[in-house]
Amino acid sequence: MLLCADHAASIEWGLTMRLLAAMGLALSVLAAPPAGAADILPIFDAHLHYSHDAWESVPPQEAIAILRQAGLKRAMVSSSNDDGTQRLLAAAPDLIVPELRPYRTRGEIGTWMRDETVLAYVEERLKKYRYAAIGEFHVYGADADLPVVRRLVELARQHRLFLHAHSDADAVDRLFLQDPQARILWAHAGFARPEAVREMLARHRHLWCDLAFRSDHATGGKVDAAWRAVFEAFPDRFMVGTDTFTPERWHYIGEHANFSRAWLADLPKDLAERIAWRNGEALLGRMMDGR
Amino acid sequence: MRALLATLAAAAGILLAAPAVAQAPMLGEAETRRVLAHGPWPPAPPHDPSNRVSGQPAAIALGERLFFDRRLSGDGAMACDWCHDPARDWSDGFARGVGKATLDRNTPALWNVGLQRWFGWGGGHDSLWSQSLRPLLEPREMGGSAAQVAARVRGDADLACRYRQVFGQAPSSMDDTGLLIATGKALAAFQETLVSGRTPFDDFRDALARGDAAAMARYPQDALRGLRIFIGKGSCSTCHVGPLFTNGEFADIGVPFFLARGGVDSGRHEGIRQVRGSAFNLLGPYNDDPGGATRLRTRHVELQHRNFGEFKVPSLRNVARTAPYMHNGALADLRDVVRHYSELNEDRLHADGERILKPLRLDAGETDDLIAFLSTLSDTTPPFRRRVADTCP
Repeated sequence: MLLCADHAASIEWGLTMRLLAAMGLALSVLAAPPAGAADILPIFDAHLHYSHDAWESVPPQEAIAILRQAGLKRAMVSSSNDDGTQRLLAAAPDLIVPELRPYRTRGEIGTWMRDETVLAYVEERLKKYRYAAIGEFHVYGADADLPVVRRLVELARQHRLFLHAHSDADAVDRLFLQDPQARILWAHAGFARPEAVREMLARHRHLWCDLAFRSDHATGGKVDAAWRAVFEAFPDRFMVGTDTFTPERWHYIGEHANFSRAWLADLPKDLAERIAWRNGEALLGRMMDGR
Repeated sequence: MRALLATLAAAAGILLAAPAVAQAPMLGEAETRRVLAHGPWPPAPPHDPSNRVSGQPAAIALGERLFFDRRLSGDGAMACDWCHDPARDWSDGFARGVGKATLDRNTPALWNVGLQRWFGWGGGHDSLWSQSLRPLLEPREMGGSAAQVAARVRGDADLACRYRQVFGQAPSSMDDTGLLIATGKALAAFQETLVSGRTPFDDFRDALARGDAAAMARYPQDALRGLRIFIGKGSCSTCHVGPLFTNGEFADIGVPFFLARGGVDSGRHEGIRQVRGSAFNLLGPYNDDPGGATRLRTRHVELQHRNFGEFKVPSLRNVARTAPYMHNGALADLRDVVRHYSELNEDRLHADGERILKPLRLDAGETDDLIAFLSTLSDTTPPFRRRVADTCP
């Protein structure tokens, strides 16, 4: 009798769970990435931050586990201050590509370019550690010509580093005027329309783009036609990135990797692999090899 | 000398009298337009085309009966009013809801719920009737099941009678899922009646509309100053717009969204997944809207990275009575809420995200004024009294 009651309860429980699933309540489980699968597309995530407010809520070992679970081949990480990046690098030197953010706290996003004390901080870190890039920093328009920014461009040239600029096209143009040989990773592709991105890439042969925090290039796993044309015209110039601008978004890295895989599957395999990881690996990852 | 003193005294008198002269500051044209946009109130009674029994008195009565029926929960101990207590403005007063377990989110008050577009802090449901099913089934809330709900309805002569009246067929002839959905639609019909009443702000707004200076002057001066912050330097009315004081959408306002039990509450991101994956969404066969217009918003909703950590912009009607605040009840009172916006941590906002959000840097007086304004959004509706006759009429 007990067995029958249990069986009935089990059937009812199963029906309830099916109903909950039908209502979409179990989708978070279903959305878990198939990490570890042999055919999973590796990802070079070119836009991660691990700032001071993330260290306690997502400790380094947990952060590294998240990156590996997401199937990332490499992750370019910056942090405010730089200690976060160094902690992650120490925990997983095979995985982390460090970049130096010129902020001691994230609150310096809007002030750093007028604060000359930033330079002493950057120069001290550059003497002490190796990096692939300086950034991600925020600068717009004519502010790109301020002395602090100019010095940052000089330091990047001196140390042969990428500049990772969250900027409008005007500021990018100004950075290239300061150093035509600079290599710039344009964060979020400037949130510019694909036609404008195409124009910038045609004008600057040392300009690359990350697609972090953009959703307009693909909908439902289908690549927008205008974006597809730009990807095909400049297959070596794009990378993907999550942008963990708050600690909570570390829990979005796996989701973002799967989002990237979904739309990249709509591109020819070679092009998809370049954007997914080969471009990042060739340009940024190799800079750290042989440490 | 005496003349000088007299002059100074007269000047001081003028200065002291100045506030009285300025007691009815004029609203500019743009301000007037913005204030008028927050009314009129109340609106037309809600009607949901996706729910064929929406607005029907018999369905409302059945829904009310069900709303307070503890037998619908898994252990027979909990009804909807466990969390949505009419004596607590259809909420529970807790930071996070407490069903069979402590939940992750604050229990939203049900005032004006029938006027909303998406339901729940993450908008995981696109109709009030489908939202009403979730707590019935969710193990951490009422922990019931379709079979249990169906059995209760079929086995209760009064409920069965009411079902027959509302849906035109005996519950014994309906399958469990059909009966569950009918339950949701009756519950929704009842909740649509929970429309808040008129408020001191509505009186001021209508006086402004008809140019009644005497009636306008009755509106408290501190609330008026707060209203000007709300529609002006605070930009609050950009999202808390219209008569309902909400745009019905979702925003990231810099509130942390880690979960106490680990992980995160991704808010609208998970909500979009839920609503698109739900067999009970408005794209499915249970939508009663023959015209199909109700399907459009669900058909076109798309996941975006920005949705991760966005939560519903709540209505502000009766807001002073529905503490605590935010999706997780993290802010205890309105002063905390105003402080949140006043000292907003921009570090938590994406540089290309909610551009309208800037720290308001309000001083103590402005804070008091804004709270005074928000307090005038409370109605004076008499306490709710159950209206359903004991037996099926």
